[in-house]
Amino acid sequence: MRKTLALAFAALLAAGLLGGGKALAGTSLLETGSTLVYPLMNLWVADYQRAHGDVQITTQGTGSGTGISQAISGVAQIGASDAYMADAQMKNSPMLNIPLAISAQQINYNIPGLNAKHLNLSGPVLAGIYSGAIKFWDDKQIAEMNKGVKLPHNQIVPIHRADGSGDTFIFSQYLSFSTPSWSHGPGYGTTISWPSVSTAVGATGNPGMVQTCQNTPNSIAYIGVSFLDETNKAHLGYAALKNRSGRFVLPTASTIHAAASSLTSKTPSDERISLIFAPGAESYPIINYEYAIVNPQQGDAAKGAELKKFLTWALASNGGQQAKFLNAVHFLPLPEKIVKLSKAQIAKIK
Amino acid sequence: MASMDIRVGDTARAVSPAALQRTGSQTILTVLTGLAALASFAIIFLILFFLVAYAYPAIRFNGLGFFTSMIWNIGNQYGSGTISRAGFSAQPGASFGALVFIFGTVVTAALTMVVAVPLSLMVALSLVYTVPRRIRPIANALVELMAGVPSVVYGLWGMVVLVPWIGTKLAPWVTTHFGFIPFLGGSAGSGNGLAASVFILALMVIPIMVATTRDVILAQSNSLFEASMALGSTSWQAMTRAVLPSVRGGVVASVLLAFGRALGETMAVLMVCGAAINSFPQNVFGPVNTIAAVIVSQLESALTDASGMAQRSLAELACSLFLITLIINVVARGIMRGADRREGRAA
Amino acid sequence: MALARGGVAPKTWASRSWWTLSVACLIAVIGLLFSIFAFVISRGFPALKPQLFTTVTQGTAGGLLNAIAGTFLLVAIGLALVIVVGLGTAIWTVEFAPPWAKRVIRFMIDVLAGVPSIVVGYFLYVALVEEAGWGFSLLAGALALAIFMLPYVVRAADVAFSNVPRALREGAVALGARPAMVIFSIDFPWALPGILTGLLVATGIGLGETAPLIYTAGWSNYLPSLAPTHSPVGYLTYVVWTYISQPFPESHQLAYAAAALLMIFVFVTNLLARSFVEYKTNRSR
Repeated sequence: MRKTLALAFAALLAAGLLGGGKALAGTSLLETGSTLVYPLMNLWVADYQRAHGDVQITTQGTGSGTGISQAISGVAQIGASDAYMADAQMKNSPMLNIPLAISAQQINYNIPGLNAKHLNLSGPVLAGIYSGAIKFWDDKQIAEMNKGVKLPHNQIVPIHRADGSGDTFIFSQYLSFSTPSWSHGPGYGTTISWPSVSTAVGATGNPGMVQTCQNTPNSIAYIGVSFLDETNKAHLGYAALKNRSGRFVLPTASTIHAAASSLTSKTPSDERISLIFAPGAESYPIINYEYAIVNPQQGDAAKGAELKKFLTWALASNGGQQAKFLNAVHFLPLPEKIVKLSKAQIAKIK
Repeated sequence: MASMDIRVGDTARAVSPAALQRTGSQTILTVLTGLAALASFAIIFLILFFLVAYAYPAIRFNGLGFFTSMIWNIGNQYGSGTISRAGFSAQPGASFGALVFIFGTVVTAALTMVVAVPLSLMVALSLVYTVPRRIRPIANALVELMAGVPSVVYGLWGMVVLVPWIGTKLAPWVTTHFGFIPFLGGSAGSGNGLAASVFILALMVIPIMVATTRDVILAQSNSLFEASMALGSTSWQAMTRAVLPSVRGGVVASVLLAFGRALGETMAVLMVCGAAINSFPQNVFGPVNTIAAVIVSQLESALTDASGMAQRSLAELACSLFLITLIINVVARGIMRGADRREGRAA
Repeated sequence: MALARGGVAPKTWASRSWWTLSVACLIAVIGLLFSIFAFVISRGFPALKPQLFTTVTQGTAGGLLNAIAGTFLLVAIGLALVIVVGLGTAIWTVEFAPPWAKRVIRFMIDVLAGVPSIVVGYFLYVALVEEAGWGFSLLAGALALAIFMLPYVVRAADVAFSNVPRALREGAVALGARPAMVIFSIDFPWALPGILTGLLVATGIGLGETAPLIYTAGWSNYLPSLAPTHSPVGYLTYVVWTYISQPFPESHQLAYAAAALLMIFVFVTNLLARSFVEYKTNRSR
């Protein structure tokens, strides 16, 4: 009995040690972060693997904050983030912020009878709704920009993300940039201190937002564009938003493209810039770069080389920027000039 | 009890002189197994020491506001400068108040007990006394199987079946017809919230409580039940006045253990609670949040805090949860041991 | 209403209605539990296709081979750690510890059993994944599981060792058996069914844990690399929790399949544990 047990322990120990010492076959990369990027990454990696069998790329949807933090600590090689890194973080740990694609966000609502219509909404009106100043759908401010629409006198239920999220970041940035009182109040970030509104509801993840909005009549929610198919399936309405030029525009490929192009020339070489509330008559106001946060000093040379190869492929027009990938999540490809900037950043990886 | 144990070490010394010469192997065995026994100390000590040390800046920075403020705000990471208190700094606008989460944790767990305790007792009684012999093994097996089902599976059912049902059927019906009762009126919400959390937690702890309660009733009751019946009680009286009081200690202990479990449950609650921040539920259907759930859902945001204060405040939350469950457990064990002694079982 | 125990029951209106209520509760609870069971089986079984067991998770769908292998590997290493530490603890407690130490150890084990899983998960995340720089890894995940499984194994082994007949041990000692020999050749065989039951219960617990693994084992689409650190590991509960939130129906299928597999694994460990308990009770009669 004793021998058997001793042997079993020895075998386990040996297995552990052998496992520990065993070298990996090929190189492995870890991508973790934004849940908006996660579906795209999955499509990318599945395809990339077919041609590049010698590299293993693991993808995780853990949230942008985790992505940035894991890229800094070296746990992950690619940290996916909906938001560029803040100055305070960059000062502690300088990282590359490499845009991979352009995403947008729609404002969804569930007003019985009106979901087939596209309501017009503006930043200040949304700020009013989310701060409790605008309580009913037939409020004067909403009615003014929706002449001819019969709005119900029902109480609005504002739904916000309860978990930390890049969606909250870009939504609150739109409110901040368009509404001074919001920028002095709650401000923007991946988690913000929402004003206390008696009807407000928190939801977890984009699926939670869709579900909550669908289940709650008279609610309003902000949802990542990769969930457009889901919100359509749930028969939610989505709004035309007032842009910097004062026009109401729907999130379409052309309005997202217009917004991105208007800020292309302003994008600095480190590519940390907000695309929110972009100038231009046709620009949709809530769009953003989806970033890969990468440490330029990749200690491991083999990992560094594979990382550069994958990121270069992701930016190639015959690689990751193909419509078959981006259309599935309703993202847009990067403008040529941004691809160049991104490639220059990739070249810095060692 | 313990003094009657025949320990190998003692007997070897007393009975077998030959063993004296072989104390070498015994010493090694004692030391090795003793080291193993130290592991549980080491783990608890390490967790407490490490979490408290890690949370220390947050404990100083947050002060008492941690327990009195309902605002949890990691501050503006894109703002300029930092704010500092007690020599520790955080992002501008930061405020780490855990009141909403502490409230949610305690209220969901307490309401769970209010629902689950009477139900579990009823089910256990009926499982012991009324279920036909042939069906009993099936019912028992189902209860035991469900006691072992992973919480994430309960969460899945909660997300896909329970939450939509509460959001579209139960909550609108209750708020329209019983809205005049406090905490039942107002917005029907999305289904995610206090009611869903309590519902799912109750379903998770009931199998555990039924199994333990059933066992103590089975171990204790037969003679008492029959004696009481012989004295002319109805079967229900025999049950509630003779049998139940005799197993009270065991039942209370199992209730407290289930309470501990409900306090610390993470995944299932996270998937249905509505993840409230900075707000208390307006009614029983309103969104809540618990300490365990918030650690998972807020860690991601906390990691964006360059000052690190948000992560340390989460550690402070973890410390608080540890202490709450520790106290509950200590009380539970105390009651259980006392009850075991009174009810004549081996401690 | 057939009272299974307790002979002639004087039937009064109150007594009868109380019993009716308790049966109603039983039916409601059993019904709900069964509906959860049926939900998982009905959604999960159609999704259980052979390729789930032969391919790894890819993109939005694919198989579950990586998660199944990872789950078993994490649990196996966790069990290996727990067997060494847990049985050692139980042997020391039963055989060598002075009475006060017995009480303290048993109390500490009870306390450990009550520590919420997320607390341990967060502790290991900060201490090992970040500060020690292990990254998401097999060892961090297995340690998290081991901490959870430890109390169940120690308790079961403690009871099992304590129940070994004294006469047997005394006899062996009288015949000049060394203490180690007594433990390994008398205690162990006697206590084995009890210990195995404890290990199976612990296995069931380990299979179903999520919260402590999210931030320790991480997640991986690939088969576990066996490297103890710096290499994340996939596991089934992660699939349930994450893939149900993806905007693709094929991802939902994967989540249901993983949930059904978890249920089956728990069912099997339960069944095995019961059969050991039965074996034990039969033998002692």
